[in-house]
Amino acid sequence: MRDIIIGGMSDRFAVPDCAPRKGDEASNVACRTLTEVLRNDLKFESIQLVPDNLMAAIPPQNLDAPNYVDWQGINATMLVTMRAWVTGGELTVEAKLHAVNAGKAILAKRYAGKADNPRFFAHQLSDEIMALTNIGKGVARTKIAFVSNRDSENGRTKELYIMDYDGYNPRRITVNKDINITPAWSPDGRSLAYTSYRRKSPDIFLASIFEGKSSNLTNGSGQNFAPSFSPDGKRIAYSSTRGGNSEIWVANADGSGPRKLTSSPGLDTAPVWSPTGQEIAFTSDRAGTPQIYVMDSEGLNVRRLTNVGNWNDAPAWNPAKQFSEIAYTSRIEGGFNIAIVDFATRQVRQITEGRGSCEYPSWAPSGRHLTFACGRGGKWQIGVADRDGRSVTMLPAGPGKNEQPDWGPGPALQ
Amino acid sequence: MTRRSRLLIALLVLLAPALLMSACGGKKRGPAVATGSGSSTGSESGTEQPVDGGPDIRSVDPDSAAGRDFPISDPSGEGGPLEDIHFQYDQADLTDQARAILERNAQWINAHPAAKVRVEGHCDERGTVEYNLALGERRAQSTREYLVSLGVAADRLATVSYGKERPLDTGASESSHARNRRAHFAVSR
Repeated sequence: MRDIIIGGMSDRFAVPDCAPRKGDEASNVACRTLTEVLRNDLKFESIQLVPDNLMAAIPPQNLDAPNYVDWQGINATMLVTMRAWVTGGELTVEAKLHAVNAGKAILAKRYAGKADNPRFFAHQLSDEIMALTNIGKGVARTKIAFVSNRDSENGRTKELYIMDYDGYNPRRITVNKDINITPAWSPDGRSLAYTSYRRKSPDIFLASIFEGKSSNLTNGSGQNFAPSFSPDGKRIAYSSTRGGNSEIWVANADGSGPRKLTSSPGLDTAPVWSPTGQEIAFTSDRAGTPQIYVMDSEGLNVRRLTNVGNWNDAPAWNPAKQFSEIAYTSRIEGGFNIAIVDFATRQVRQITEGRGSCEYPSWAPSGRHLTFACGRGGKWQIGVADRDGRSVTMLPAGPGKNEQPDWGPGPALQ
Repeated sequence: MTRRSRLLIALLVLLAPALLMSACGGKKRGPAVATGSGSSTGSESGTEQPVDGGPDIRSVDPDSAAGRDFPISDPSGEGGPLEDIHFQYDQADLTDQARAILERNAQWINAHPAAKVRVEGHCDERGTVEYNLALGERRAQSTREYLVSLGVAADRLATVSYGKERPLDTGASESSHARNRRAHFAVSR
């Protein structure tokens, strides 16, 4: 058992510059990236960092055996040291996490791999550090799926992409040059369910992203869209108009055995599962305006969750069990914004403001952050906020209209 | 306008006289079978009358009982022989203006029995992706139902919702939004 608990408001992390073991340019560049990305990752997880100007006062020293008194002097309680070098296209990183007051290293890791993406090494280290904290699991290696028209030849097609959680390394997933929208990660991180118009009317498909394969989950009867995986990955919920009106349906993960869960004359759309898989939240305008409802996963015991405002739509259930809340898109003073409603208190807090329309919320697996898209007039970008709404940042996702983000699980299960 | 749609329109312009000529009955190979435009051939009962020494009967594309005499919609998803109708914000009800347009569209569809029509429901950018997909389908359905009530065979009308995924106008003004809240009619053979 470890004797040092990291986290909370008490710890202050010092992350001095990574030291390149060789003086060559490739090692220098890798080291600069490692330092910058690790600092950003830890900051994102709301870890307090010791400012650069204080670290500048630390006398030069051997980072393998730091002089802990110097670091105590600038109120650092944790110290992360990194050495890195590039040889023959391979990057090696040695990293240590030191507990300054205890005067010892509590984590020592050596990573080696292809040198083309040093960011990944920093993300891995961040997640390993987070695993030792009482804050919760890190998200530095998670991916966000999204929709973009960046590769469209006529501006009218949309494809699916994935990127790192911080907006870097976007990669294209679909290549069918049609409209592909509403991506939803499978819980194992290996597939995306999505809506595609490749057969003229919207149907749900499954992209196995490592195999580069796609299969259809619905078969052209009515419009089928907005899929969502159950937390165990065994079922999908989606919207379908196959009975004439948009209702919530549930099927096995391969699309077999579809069953209709709702029967209302209103539009029922946008189903998502609770963290336990026992309930489904969805949007319905059965009472005249779109509102969020919750039912059990058999379609029974339907009750209305939102009461404030005349348009509340597209729920996203916080996956962390300690946060019993649903994020959604709400029309507030004429514009659409992201809001969160707490189950117990029914208190609503607004997350976005003044960024055009914001919609399509999706939670990080930690439940501490959420992503969404904001824009107006065809210019849309993907944003990330913490669950308090204190910090909202827009990701450098790249060119085009970028929208409909879905935050995936951690590294794919092999 | 895309290059492809320009090309298509250029082709249609070039072909239009030829189509008209064949519809009116050229000297050498006048159509003995009524084509879809009907009136220009005189009467539909004249199907087997030899014309000016031409063949007694003309073969007809088995897929196209009424010949190929109408323009289909541009594959880019705009234009075509039928006029779009427009909707109020967050509504799928038909306005009086939309009904008047649908009455003209129904006449055209009934006069072109080979035409298949896909009714596309579209929305403006406000509201969520998912809700607008459902709303677009509701618009397509209410449009289709009205066409059926005007005598169009239900099996000639398919519906599809594009939600807010295919705006005509990417502006953020109310006039852009109003243009995008539409039902479009994609005509094919």
